Amino acid sequence: MVPSSSDLKEGNKLCPESTVIILGGGPAGLSAAHECLHYKVRPIVFEMGSMVGGISRTEAYKEYLFDIGGHRFFTQMANIDHLWREMMGDDFLTVSRQSRIYYRGKFYDYPLKMTNAFLNLGPIESVRILLSYIQAQISPQFPEDNFEQWVANRFGWRLYQTFFKTYTEKVWGMPCQQIQADWAAQRIKGLSLKSAVINAMFGSSKVKSLIDSFNYPTRGPGMMWDRFKDHIEKNGGEVNLNCRATGISHENGRITSVTYDRGEAGLETLPVAQIISSIPISRLVKILDPPPPKPVSDAADDLSYRSFLIVVLIINKKGLFSDQWIYIHSPHVQVGRIQNFENWSKAMVPEGPTSSIGMEYFCTIGDSTWQMTDDTLIERAAAELAELGLAQMTDIIDGTVIRQPLAYPVYDQNYSDNLAVIRTFLETFSNLQTVGRNGMHRYNNMDHSMQTGILAAKNVCGDQYNLWQINEDESYLEEEQTPLVNSTLVEKILRKSFARIDELAFATASGTLAGLIIFLATIWLIVKGGANVGQHLRLIGQYFIGYKVTVAGAFIAFAYAFFSAFLFGWAIAYLRNLFLVLYLYRIKKKSEMRSLRDLMDHL
Amino acid sequence: MENDELNSLNEEKLFSGLLLLNAKVLGLVLGLVCGVGLFIATNWLVIKGGAHVGQNLKLLGQYFVGYRVSFVGSLIGFVYGFAVGNICGGFLGWLYNKIALLRE
Ligand SMILES: Cc1cc2nc3c(=O)[nH]c(=O)nc-3n(C[C@H](O)[C@H](O)[C@H](O)COP(=O)(O)OP(=O)(O)OC[C@H]3O[C@@H](n4cnc5c(N)ncnc54)[C@H](O)[C@@H]3O)c2cc1C
Repeated sequence: MVPSSSDLKEGNKLCPESTVIILGGGPAGLSAAHECLHYKVRPIVFEMGSMVGGISRTEAYKEYLFDIGGHRFFTQMANIDHLWREMMGDDFLTVSRQSRIYYRGKFYDYPLKMTNAFLNLGPIESVRILLSYIQAQISPQFPEDNFEQWVANRFGWRLYQTFFKTYTEKVWGMPCQQIQADWAAQRIKGLSLKSAVINAMFGSSKVKSLIDSFNYPTRGPGMMWDRFKDHIEKNGGEVNLNCRATGISHENGRITSVTYDRGEAGLETLPVAQIISSIPISRLVKILDPPPPKPVSDAADDLSYRSFLIVVLIINKKGLFSDQWIYIHSPHVQVGRIQNFENWSKAMVPEGPTSSIGMEYFCTIGDSTWQMTDDTLIERAAAELAELGLAQMTDIIDGTVIRQPLAYPVYDQNYSDNLAVIRTFLETFSNLQTVGRNGMHRYNNMDHSMQTGILAAKNVCGDQYNLWQINEDESYLEEEQTPLVNSTLVEKILRKSFARIDELAFATASGTLAGLIIFLATIWLIVKGGANVGQHLRLIGQYFIGYKVTVAGAFIAFAYAFFSAFLFGWAIAYLRNLFLVLYLYRIKKKSEMRSLRDLMDHL
Repeated sequence: MENDELNSLNEEKLFSGLLLLNAKVLGLVLGLVCGVGLFIATNWLVIKGGAHVGQNLKLLGQYFVGYRVSFVGSLIGFVYGFAVGNICGGFLGWLYNKIALLRE
């Protein structure tokens, strides 16, 4: 059951539990704790890091603040949006998005703009791209089982190679042919026919996309989570930093206690009434005591993640470029994306002539990039920044490196089976819920991560929300849509609007009606009688050869009228169905082209 | 390709529904079209005037007893037109639904 926004009003139930243990102080864990306070339940959060926010924290180096990946705040969920604004007050900036793609020495506006792309590509390449798009429409390649095929079938091979191949491969660290097509289909849900039709019918004109603008706390995303922490602590909750959960004991289908490592203060154990975990689900399984059955443990080992590191370079110059970030679509350099933090918020950099640039590298724990020393990484990043022409080597004065393990849950061939095994096992514990991004091994953004936390807290107090449905049903367009009454009603309306007319039934009914009309008209005149029976009606005989205003003629007329109206009715029904399909095809194509604009944001 | 299957299932579910006609509404619409149509057609000829006003249209009087090409006739025609259109629309909708459901 996914809640409507009216379900999400402050709770007023009396909760039987008095404390809830929450593992992880990221958006999901803190939102769960915040929600607990509404029910007068005391949340106790254990966070292994030295600050809250998880992947969405703000890091600092000297006076420079930076964000792990650039976190845009945008949501379709009114309750989350409200919560963000309530927490941030005036410290919530609205930022106009500016981003570009770097490809073959040129910068392309991203989201792609027709004229800019045309000017950069030149007429010959533009025509080639167009031709390859047309070719893909006429003869798409099947089976469409990998990402490469999936994108090429929709946008053409050349466009895929020009704008999507290299960046995607950098993010995921594997060739696009090895990325599952269903990952793309799921991640880019806006491309489903259903979303396309909903957009077409319920006002895509009102759609304001994450593409254009977003919110951002003045001092980075961590500012939001610091406010959550303060609020929780002020209202009687606990947020314990530097506390890593190391053991979770269970007995008879219930979690009984949690052991956590306080660093120098050593290990401590706390009894558990209810527990909400936002730590990576694979880690959670590993710290269970007694350990889970082997298939569950194997499934946890088989879940994989993509990690991420950011090399922050301090530059002796301001205003290097006006974008918040640039996608680097060039195989010659390793960097995947470049952030310019002063363009997210002026407060991210100190006053004065310097600025900070975040060079983002996607990697896997243990690979050569991950293992490089900080100095080597800084050197490489500086050289790449200079090679791209975005700064002079001599202007780069300092740098630091932040590693973010387990940044992206990987949707590989086995993940869904593995997750099912783990989920089934964890669901046997009556007082444990898993929430968040890695907590559910789901590609959740902050809003969906928070929502799972909030609903888990409600469940503790007696509700029965299915957390796994969050981010499953809704479109992942990252677009704000006019609130629809509810999705079942919308589906009902759509089903009615796009239902197919049964051609044969319509033809038969039309034929029968026309036949009966002319049959009765003939009989009526015969019954009325008179001098010159049916002197005008008989003119129909010009078309219906053999027709006369007689009883036999009435039957002949029935047959003729039935046949002609049958054909007519069939043609009407057929054309109506045909145009409906063409209409659907058109809106689907339109929506695909629209999604091309922000495809990279979904990768 | 489990997800694709799911997706197309959803789409199938959404778009392969069978259209059923609302016989009452169809009757009302067709009734109004026929009634108003006959009302306008009659008055048009009345306003145009001439030697033999509505010599062909008045043949409808064979079926619509009491109908003639005059203003009062146009009102009578409206009632007849509405009644016949309503019956025809209702019948078309009813029969279509019966056949379509039978075939499904
Ligand atoms: C590069 C990148 C860019 C992103 N951009 C956006 C964006 O623009 N907009 C957006 O909405 N979302 C974005 N996201 C997603 C966003 O970061 C996540 O959705 C969000 O941080 C998930 O919150 P969470 O609480 O589920 O998990 P996390 O943020 O991962 O928090 C989990 C917490 O658990 C702690 N933990 C782990 N193990 C233990 C343990 N054993 N004991 C105690 N604590 C533990 C961790 O330290 C961490 O603080 C981005 C993510 C990445 C990687």
